[in-house]
Parts: sequence; C-alpha cells; structure tokens
Amino acid sequence: MRVHLHTSLRRPGPAGPLRQLEAELPASSTLADLLWLLELSPSPPGLLLVVNGRSADLSQALAEGDEVHLMPALSGG
Amino acid sequence: MEIWRVNLRSGSLQRGPVPEAWARLGGRGLLARILLDEVPPACEPLGPGNRLVFSPGLLVGHMLSSCDRISIGGKSPLTRGIKEANAGGTTGLQMACMGIRALILEDQTPWARERQTDWRVLHLSLAGARFDPAGDLAGLGVFAAAERLRKRYGDQVAISLIGPGGEMRLASAGIQNLDKDRVPSRIAARGGLGAVMGAKGLKAVVFDAAGSAKPPIADPAAFNAARKAYTRNVLEHSQSALYRDFGTAAMALMTNALGALPTRAFSSGQFEDAEALSGEHLREVMLARGGTSTPTHACMPGCTIRCSNNYGDAEGNSLVTPLEYETIGLMGSNLGIAELDVVARLNWEANDLGLDSIDLGAALGVAAEAGLLAFGDGVRALELLGEIRRGTPLGLILGHGAAVAGRVLGVARVPVVKGQAMSAYEPRAIKGTGVTFATSPQGADHTAGNTVRAKVDHLDPKVQAALSRTAQINMAGYDTLGACIFAGSGFSVAPEVIPALLNARYGWQVGPDILQLLGRETLSLEREFNRRAGFTSVDDRMPEWMTREPLPPNGSVFDVDDADLDGVFDW
Repeated sequence: MRVHLHTSLRRPGPAGPLRQLEAELPASSTLADLLWLLELSPSPPGLLLVVNGRSADLSQALAEGDEVHLMPALSGG
Repeated sequence: MEIWRVNLRSGSLQRGPVPEAWARLGGRGLLARILLDEVPPACEPLGPGNRLVFSPGLLVGHMLSSCDRISIGGKSPLTRGIKEANAGGTTGLQMACMGIRALILEDQTPWARERQTDWRVLHLSLAGARFDPAGDLAGLGVFAAAERLRKRYGDQVAISLIGPGGEMRLASAGIQNLDKDRVPSRIAARGGLGAVMGAKGLKAVVFDAAGSAKPPIADPAAFNAARKAYTRNVLEHSQSALYRDFGTAAMALMTNALGALPTRAFSSGQFEDAEALSGEHLREVMLARGGTSTPTHACMPGCTIRCSNNYGDAEGNSLVTPLEYETIGLMGSNLGIAELDVVARLNWEANDLGLDSIDLGAALGVAAEAGLLAFGDGVRALELLGEIRRGTPLGLILGHGAAVAGRVLGVARVPVVKGQAMSAYEPRAIKGTGVTFATSPQGADHTAGNTVRAKVDHLDPKVQAALSRTAQINMAGYDTLGACIFAGSGFSVAPEVIPALLNARYGWQVGPDILQLLGRETLSLEREFNRRAGFTSVDDRMPEWMTREPLPPNGSVFDVDDADLDGVFDW
C-alpha cells in the first residue's frame, strides 16, 4: 500500500523530504499496526486518518493497494 | 470606547458613548446589531440607506496573538443579505487605540456617482473627520494607491482602501487593509463591501491614532495572566507549527486526499497535479528561491502563529503576499492550473483590482464552462482579469462574481449559495462544511464554520448538521472577539481563557459559555436581518446540481436532509 505523509510527518530522504512510501503489512493488519510500523504515536490526537478517500479510525483493516493518508489536522484555510 | 458616526452627505462626525444594548458586542456581533437596528433590510445595498460599518472585535487592541482583526459590514450587494467580512492587518488595532468600538458611515457623499472620478479620502483622527481630495487615485490599483496614501499620511496610520473593482461597484470587490509591513494585502474580501464603499464615494479611510493611548484594561494583572496562558497554549499547539511552516496551503493535499479539492469548475474533488500546488511544495519553493520569499510571516503585530507567507519569483522578487489555500484552490485546481507562479500572478491581479479571489476564481471557472477559457490556460485567465481592469462588458460580468457570470453566460453549474461563491471545500465531500455553505446567513463561506478537521465520515449526511451548528456558533463567537480562526487552537484547549480575558479587560462577570452566547446572539441577529430582507428556508439550500451530480472520485452528492438544514439554528 502507498502511505502519504503530510506536512510535519515527512521524513528525511536521500533526495529531499520523503512524503510517500510503500508499506507492506501482514494480512488483516489495521491502521494502528501501520502507525506502529512507522513508529508514530499509537493514538495521536491531532492526526486525521484517510484510507482510499474516506475518513477512517485506528481499527480500520488495510489491504494491498490501499492509499493511506496520515494528516496532521488543520482547521481551515 | 465610543461610537463614531460620520454622515457622509453633511460631512459631520458625531462621537458618543456605546449604547447599552451594544455594549457587550464587538466585531461581527456588533455589526449584526447595528445593521439590524439601523439599516432597512430591504434597502438597495449601493444606495444611501445602506451603512458601512467598521468594528474591531472585543479583544482587539492589546496585540494578543491573532486577536486584532477588523470586521467590516453592511448589506451585501452580492448576497443582498447581511454581510460581515473580517481581515487581519493593522486597522483593528489602530481603531481600538483611538477608542472606536464602531465607525458607522451613513448615507453617501455628495460627489458619489457612477463612473465617478472625484474620489476623496476620509481622514479620522482625535481632531475629528475631514475629507481630503484624492482624484489622483481614480482608477489606480490598490498597491499604487496605497503607496501614494502612505507617502501622504505617513507610516503610523492604518488605511482601508478599495481598488478599481470597488470604484466600479463590482459585487466581488473587497476592502483592503495594511499588514504590519504596510502592504495592503489584508482584504475584507467577501460579499462586495468594496462596492458599498465605492458607492459612498470613498477611495480610502485613514485612521490616525496619533495622540491616543492604549485601550484601558480593568484588571491588568488578571489580563496578563490570561494572556500568558493563552499565548502558551497557542505556541504549544501542534497546529500552530503546521501553519507557521506550511501556511494554509497545507490544506491542499488534505482536501485532495478527501476528494474535496475543487477541480475544473467543481467537476472533480481530486486534482492530478495537487502536489504542485501543495503547501509542502510551496514551502520548498520559497526556501529554495530566497530573496523576499518566506514561508513564515505575521499579518498582524503580535501574532505568534505567523501563517502568512511572501511568495517570490525565481529572481527573488515578491509576486504576492500571502499565497493562501483558498486562492490556490479557486484559481489553481478549479481552473486546472498547476503552476504556483501563475496562481500567484492571478492572486496579485485580484488583490490589485481589489477583488475577492474566491468569487473571482469561481467566476473564471464559470467562464471556462462557457468556453471563454481553456482549463489550464493561465495566460488567458490573466487576460480575462485584464478585461476587468479595462471595464469591458465581459470584465464587468466576471467582476460581479460567479453567480452573475453564470446567469449571463448561461452556465447552470455555478458553485454559489445566496449568490456567494463557495470556497475550496467541495461540499459533496466535506458535507458539514456544505451545511455551513447552505445555511450561513453570510452565504457560502468556510470561515463561517468549517468542519474539515472533524474526525467523522465526511460523506455521511446524518452527522453533518450538528457539526456545522457547533462550528458556526464558535466562529460567530470568535468573529465577535476579533480572533483569527487559528486563535481557536489556543482557546480550544483552555476555553476558560476567553471569559478570563473579557472579564479582565472590561470588568465584566461573564461565564464559561460566553463564546457560545456571543455566537448564538450574532447568528440570531444576522438571520433576523435576512428574514426581514426576504430570505426564507429556500435560500438555505445547496445548488440543485450538487444534489444530483456525483462528484468523482467518491461519487457522492450533497444529500443532507432539508429538515436537517432547517434545524441548524434550533438551539
């Protein structure tokens, strides 16, 4: 699955900030497992989770090919 | 604090105490009270019966971070209902230092007329009011006009001015204010208040606080303690760092991920080139270019969030300040334009014309639907803004905003409510914000109650009305305080700071629910004005096409029940 790391979640990469990465998780893994894999806080209060264009919670099961967005929340523009 | 009332026909200034019924309001809430008390709701917005009112919010005047906003209001020539538009910059602070709770401009100047060339400046100081000739500013863009005004009046004054759009009485014209660096980029943009000012015959209002003192504080020790707690909360909030580093443009990839980034005249919620318009890319470009470019900039003195930016070209020269998400959405993805430099040039033109970049971007989207502009053609988009500057028939049509453009050009897919264009949150994908668009007395406006941050299924129609209600009440409260939308991050973690600040400032005894009380009172007053102006529940609806045209990629329509929309203000 492809994981999009928004704003402050970007990571140092060889060619500049890394804002997307491919992740592989065992079958029946959840968003909580993905956060653990990425060494992120297990219940971040200001983090919005979106899978395939829809808001999701930590218990959401993930599948191969999913597009996951991890987005520190903003309240407007 | 005082009410300053200028009769523009006679030129007289009356200064008086704040009436008891107005004493506990400021900003948006006070505008609503004054407009309901004094403006006939059925009046012609560009006629003598309308009033243009400036009011700093209740907490303005103390350089409290993100809390020095100015609210400007009147009956809107765009929505034909009540209108408040607020802005950062220095006008609110200067007015508060002069002791002005509200400035009410009545009637019209004797020289006000269509195609006017005899412009004047209203100069206000502790010595009184006077009208200075400003015929040399006729037709000048906002930036050139502000430069002349700065030379004429010095760098210590605050200035509110209109551009050619306001002079032409275009319904998307706003009123611009100087930021802390004296750049006239802080626009009270929405709803055509620039046209109201133009119709009153004024090119600018100058506020000169020379000789005035800081606003009094009833209990300085308590105020400073509350200020300290509030400032710490703002600084420590994770959202403040995001805005400091990425600005509001960080929203672009967030809405794109949710399928809510308006794309090609609101025909899709995802833009294939969203990355090129993102806040992350914007930051990298500005840091790489250097020169005047900076991703972190404060629009008001004392702001610790500093969400604004200054976007420069490859040579390091400023293209526009600030470049914000809403403009990126409406003038970027909405037009199929993927180059930030092009969006910045369009943004600068809108600012110099003195027009709302949201309504203008939506109008250009309508023009694209009508075949006057190919999506992605930034050169043609700039040409169309040139038509506005020259005052050609096509330019006038576009300058009146998306609703008029749609009607004249025969385009039915127009993203407006109450005649005002939607900002860059597709209401079919962020349905709570859609409820706000539909029901706000202000017309479609995300700042009236955005729900994008909520941890809900934004496509579920059943939970949205309650979300929007809470957001609208809170925002009407913040707008009455003079607080920026982002000050909410500091207030939300410790809501008790709001009554603490108000009680210390004014010697009041307000309780913990003051924000909600102010918000509900403001919304009730605004809805009553609109009711008397002829608005009904029919006006609180999404455009019909959005209820039946599925939005890619989610395939969603706006399907919040009418009963839910009608119940938003039942509290």
